[in-house]
Amino acid sequence: MEVKITEKDNVMTAQLIGRLDTAVSQEVATTLQPVIEQANKTIVLDCKELSYISSSGLRIFLTIRKAAAGKGGKVIVRDINNEIRQVFMMTGFLNLFEIQES
Amino acid sequence: MAARKKLDKATRLATRQGLLVVIVCLLTLEATALLQYYYSRKILSEESTRRAQGQLEATKLHILNVLDQVETAVRNSQWSVEQQLIKPDSLSAVTVRLVASNPVICGSTVALKDHMLAPYSHEAEGTILTSTLATEEYDYPHQEWFVKPLELGEGYWSEPYFDEGGGNILMTTYSVPVVDKKGRTAVFTADVSLEWLSDLIATVKVYPTAFNMVVSREGRIMVSPVETLTIEHNVHDLASSMEDSTTFQSLNQTIMAEESGQDTYKYQGKLHYMFFDKVPRTGWVMSISIPEDEIYGSIKRLGAMVTLLQIVGLLMLILVLYYMVRGQRELRQSEEQKNRIDGELQVARGIQMSMIPKIFPEYPECADVDMFACVIPAKEVGGDLYDFYIREEKLFFCIGDVSGKGVPASLVMAVTRSLFRTVSAHEKSPQRIVSTINASMSDMNETNMFVTLFCGVLDLKNGHLRYCNAGHNAPVLVQKDGNRELPVEPNLPLGVLFEMSFTEQECDLSCGTGLFLYTDGLNEAENAYHQLFGEERMMAALKSGLESRQQIAAMTDAVHAFVAGAEQSDDLTMLYIRFMNSQITEETERHLILHNDIQQIPQLAEFVESVADIAKLDVGMTMSLNLALEEAVTNVIMYAYPPGSDGLVDVEAVIREKELRFILSDSGVAFDPTAAPEADITLDVSERPIGGLGIFLVRNIMDEVTYTRSDDGKNILTMIKKLA
Repeated sequence: MEVKITEKDNVMTAQLIGRLDTAVSQEVATTLQPVIEQANKTIVLDCKELSYISSSGLRIFLTIRKAAAGKGGKVIVRDINNEIRQVFMMTGFLNLFEIQES
Repeated sequence: MAARKKLDKATRLATRQGLLVVIVCLLTLEATALLQYYYSRKILSEESTRRAQGQLEATKLHILNVLDQVETAVRNSQWSVEQQLIKPDSLSAVTVRLVASNPVICGSTVALKDHMLAPYSHEAEGTILTSTLATEEYDYPHQEWFVKPLELGEGYWSEPYFDEGGGNILMTTYSVPVVDKKGRTAVFTADVSLEWLSDLIATVKVYPTAFNMVVSREGRIMVSPVETLTIEHNVHDLASSMEDSTTFQSLNQTIMAEESGQDTYKYQGKLHYMFFDKVPRTGWVMSISIPEDEIYGSIKRLGAMVTLLQIVGLLMLILVLYYMVRGQRELRQSEEQKNRIDGELQVARGIQMSMIPKIFPEYPECADVDMFACVIPAKEVGGDLYDFYIREEKLFFCIGDVSGKGVPASLVMAVTRSLFRTVSAHEKSPQRIVSTINASMSDMNETNMFVTLFCGVLDLKNGHLRYCNAGHNAPVLVQKDGNRELPVEPNLPLGVLFEMSFTEQECDLSCGTGLFLYTDGLNEAENAYHQLFGEERMMAALKSGLESRQQIAAMTDAVHAFVAGAEQSDDLTMLYIRFMNSQITEETERHLILHNDIQQIPQLAEFVESVADIAKLDVGMTMSLNLALEEAVTNVIMYAYPPGSDGLVDVEAVIREKELRFILSDSGVAFDPTAAPEADITLDVSERPIGGLGIFLVRNIMDEVTYTRSDDGKNILTMIKKLA
């Protein structure tokens, strides 16, 4: 699992690459801490190369979403694959996040 | 109790035998001693007789010599007396000459018959005096010495007498009749002092306490040991001083009647042997009396010493026999004990052998497997074990070897075998079976005994073999294309390390594949040159296609031919299993065992993908299942075991045509995830809780989720996914 964070024009982009399972979730959460701290900005979670997500990954997504809601920011989930979309649908996350296709 | 009685009986028998020996010895010794006594006595008796008689004979000859001297001297002078009878006054010259020329003769007379004339010459203080016997008071014509020769017409020795006139000495007189041509008659005498006789007799000493006696023909005592008895006394006087005078009287009658002989009498309370001999002419009887003690004293002393020695010898013999009997009893006791232990070992052997399956085929109705096993036991009880049984279409089997030999090993073997049965009764994973047995054994392993064990579970439906090895020899896979060792992790033997984590392995057996399991009694069988049978010979003897019974027989023959009669030092156990099911069913099983470490999640992902491959699932379904499994397993890892403690999660996947079934089991705290409240996915961002999604996902992905808590304290979560 790899996380790349870039900032451009007041938009924070976190590129998630690989499997986000329970084993790596703690590490990913730590990596994304700066993003959560700047939740007043627009946050883009780039899932183009995210192959898998477990409930622990969903918790990170939800944590960011809650932070944004609190600080008046915005969270965009971009390019999720069909499998993850299925999970989002199952868990009601489709209603909580703005999903974009690039 | 029976042994004790037997022992007592044997002891009594030994005691009786010992007594018999003592009695025989005693009789032999006594007989020898008696015989010796009898012959010694005889020899001593003969010796005493010989000595006494010899002495008597010599003394008799001495006396006769003196008597002969006197008789010769008298005879030589007899002619002179005859010539002088005509002129009696000159007779004294003859008598003087006779006395002077013969020292033995101390006096002499010639007494005329017709006239009272008897000149007498005798020696007194060196000179020879002459007097006359023709006195009124003496009246010689009536004296014995005068009357007897005339009566007899020959020489006559008178009874001994005391010469009152001539110095109180004991004397005897030899007198001869003399008649000249004119018929003038006289008696010519020679007096002989008997002092020399006492002296002579005194020199006769046959034994120190023997004593001698001489009595005259009329029983007068001439020489006796009792000084008070003199010539005035006779043997009757002597007899009257004895306690059994009658014996002595009759003895004297014998003495008087016979020339010589011997007899016994009692004197002063002691038995005396008397030897006697009679001197011719004078009729004197000489006797030697020897006390019995004197003759047989030495033999009595010898007898006493022999008896003493015999008693000491017998006591020593009894002592020796006592120690022998006791020694034998101890020997017998230790033998009894040894026999009892041997017997008990045999029983232990029997019990041990009865624990392992011996009837083949054990499952004749089951065509999926062909099995045979054998144990060739070493002399003593050993620690080899094997076991197998079929449960839920699975063959559970194990083979093992306990370190060491003898009773301790056999006890550990029995424990191990019991644990295998108990643990495997509700456990399908060999890894868990082995781990549980290990934990139990390490816990109670105070004697540091350990066991190598190979445990396997063969699915008879599809040939899938799950196995776990605990330090045992790797079994051999026997296949058409050659034999090879089953790849095994060595791990550690059971009972070494309490927290040892064993690795489970698996493989699939195709129809006809054989699995040969053995203990080191096979590959380490030694021949007389201390060469080992070895793996190479073992591999060469394994032939694919042989039935299990034939395979075991072939291996047994091979190893027997190799050792060629050398003594077997270790148990030899072999187990051969051939998987024979050619119709693999659609059901397949896969297993995974994880520790309660979140870092093991990627392994779970691999496992799910391998299951998905078998079930030929698409990517989406694979990911969904992956997610469900991860959520369920994570739940166990995070919450089932106390933080910091090690725990296991067993994942079993059953793949069927129409469904996929995942069974999760753990030994953690009881927790039913299905009882958790349903997550509300319709809530707004601010109201939505962070957690609670895991179980929600499991429920949503799977078609059926059920939880049970097993009797042996396990959480079992079964998740079913229907396949289209």
